[in-house]
Amino acid sequence: MTLAETLSYLPYGKYAFYIWLSYGVTFLVIAELFVRASRNHKKVHFDLKNKYAREDD
Amino acid sequence: MWKWIQKLASPKVFFETTNKLIPWFLWPFIGLILLGLYWGLVVAPADYQQGESFRIMYIHVPSAWMSMLVYFIMAVVGGIGLIWQIKMAQVVAKVSAPIGASFTLIALATGAIWGKPMWGAWWVWDARLTSELILLFLYLAYISLNNAFDDPKTASKASSILAIVGLVNLPIIHYSVKWWNTLHQGSILEDISKPSVHPDMLWPLLIMVFAFQFLYGLLLLLNARDEILVREQNSRWVRELVTGE
Repeated sequence: MTLAETLSYLPYGKYAFYIWLSYGVTFLVIAELFVRASRNHKKVHFDLKNKYAREDD
Repeated sequence: MWKWIQKLASPKVFFETTNKLIPWFLWPFIGLILLGLYWGLVVAPADYQQGESFRIMYIHVPSAWMSMLVYFIMAVVGGIGLIWQIKMAQVVAKVSAPIGASFTLIALATGAIWGKPMWGAWWVWDARLTSELILLFLYLAYISLNNAFDDPKTASKASSILAIVGLVNLPIIHYSVKWWNTLHQGSILEDISKPSVHPDMLWPLLIMVFAFQFLYGLLLLLNARDEILVREQNSRWVRELVTGE
């Protein structure tokens, strides 16, 4: 039994595996964009604060 | 109008504008994506040929359209930055690239997942698929070229030229299903006044397209504001903003 057949009890029956997989991949890629933006936001502020603190010394 | 453009080209005004605009993109995006997903996954009826599998269309088509739209914006704005030396245009072009590359990746991945049950193969070397794959490589080349230089001016100059040369790929992607005998199906929205699909299938698609446009705008703003701070780190206003003086 293939994975697609195993998962056919989910909504959308025999296509359940393909539909949920494609929506899952899309969600992950978009979530990664937000995570990266947020990490970069923190890093930029952290680095700039350090830079200005060093210059003030 | 010209004065307004000149004002927006100032990094400080541009930064303040991005911060103000973020909620105007965030909330429409959340509203539209929830509505589009509900309509597309729950309300829309199954297709008479493709069964339930056509629901992949609601992410595949918007992301494929966005992959081309973002590339077009990136090349045009990059060209403006190149000709008139507008720093903020260079910022918009640079931060657009990873977003566009992600949309291209989503279009290719969902296309492969859709292709398996419909065509019996994850991938075929069809004109539409191949030209979209080339688009992904163009994005990756643009990103690496942008990161290859220490000086942001030189980096955006070199990468903008690459983006403009790569523009030739967009009509190839768009017309590939007409010029060549491809496995990929034709456009379902050739003429908006006489759509070839039922309204209950078409509406969620249009809503998802708008949702993806707001998503691009939102990500663009989130990334652009930090890129401005880095580029303008020697200006007084950035210093005051970061240190909170």
